[in-house]
Amino acid sequence: MNHAIALAGALIGAGIALGGGAIGAAIGDGLAGNAAIQGQARQPEAAGALRVTMFLIIGLVEAMYFINLVFVFILIGDANIPG
Amino acid sequence: MIGPLLAAAGPQVSQPTTVICGAKPLLVNPVPITYCDVNQDTLISSLVAIAITLVLGFLIARRLRSGRPGKLQMLLEFFLGYVKDLVRDSVGDGADFIIPIAATIGFYILVANWIAFFPLARPIQPAASDVNQTLAMAVVVIVVVQVYSVKVLGFRGYLRRFTKPFELNWAMRVVFIPLNVIEEVAKPITLALRLFGNIFAGLVMVDLLSELPVFLAWIPVTAWKLFDVLFIGAIQAFIFMLLTVIYFGLAREGLEEEGHHGAQAAAAHAQH
Repeated sequence: MNHAIALAGALIGAGIALGGGAIGAAIGDGLAGNAAIQGQARQPEAAGALRVTMFLIIGLVEAMYFINLVFVFILIGDANIPG
Repeated sequence: MIGPLLAAAGPQVSQPTTVICGAKPLLVNPVPITYCDVNQDTLISSLVAIAITLVLGFLIARRLRSGRPGKLQMLLEFFLGYVKDLVRDSVGDGADFIIPIAATIGFYILVANWIAFFPLARPIQPAASDVNQTLAMAVVVIVVVQVYSVKVLGFRGYLRRFTKPFELNWAMRVVFIPLNVIEEVAKPITLALRLFGNIFAGLVMVDLLSELPVFLAWIPVTAWKLFDVLFIGAIQAFIFMLLTVIYFGLAREGLEEEGHHGAQAAAAHAQH
């Protein structure tokens, strides 16, 4: 019974954490893309450099989400051990 | 179905771990953390990655031609030139010892991530999907950064760096000390977890996709691996390298404010 409660709590928490993290990562990606498009529209000759920087920043932004994901797996794995 | 999947907490290690000095696990939950054993998966995949990195490096070095470089040589020269520019821009002159460190780290992680595109005989996990591997690399980087910081700024300058907004008065700067200490401690942790989380999440996704029937599974697995291994793997290798260089750049903070008349700074400059 305690195990079931712990597992349910972990799953709900994991869902909230993943969902919230996804919102944050999506907003960050959108901001990076927005800024890159604006820069590209102002200075079309800087497009190559902007693209590299944009992917770099997207990588940094999404890393937070992946760190989140690892903690979610650890939490669920922890709660799911019976006894 | 979901129960056993989550119990695994991601893909299982396909090779056993070897306990070297017969120590009991420190922690049983959530993952059995032992302080003295070897994960054979990580060992095998990182050895393969090291071997490929070394062979590529020596092959290119042996075939070195000036004037008419081969394709591999051109690629490596472009990469090294990029790292050199990066280090000179964000760290400054006299820090050329960082170039081999950063380039080796970036190249090794790139190879280690990319060989995960081919599964070995049994699916062996890529080296960076073990947190011990990435944490070891991050700790090495941060230790070298601290040594470099002490060398450049002197011990007083190094301690002064922890009172960071230099333009505030001293009472405010004391308040900032814990924050700066936390920032410094968080650097290796985030550096390690960023790489580990990306590669590990990609691995979990492959694991999930391969639950599909075999005649169907290869399509999404190939598509995912093309995206995750080739693209994300390259970006994460590059980010690890870039942050290494940036941390070295941050380690010189306070050099300019202290002025070039400071004895330590002058010594550091003379050294360069």
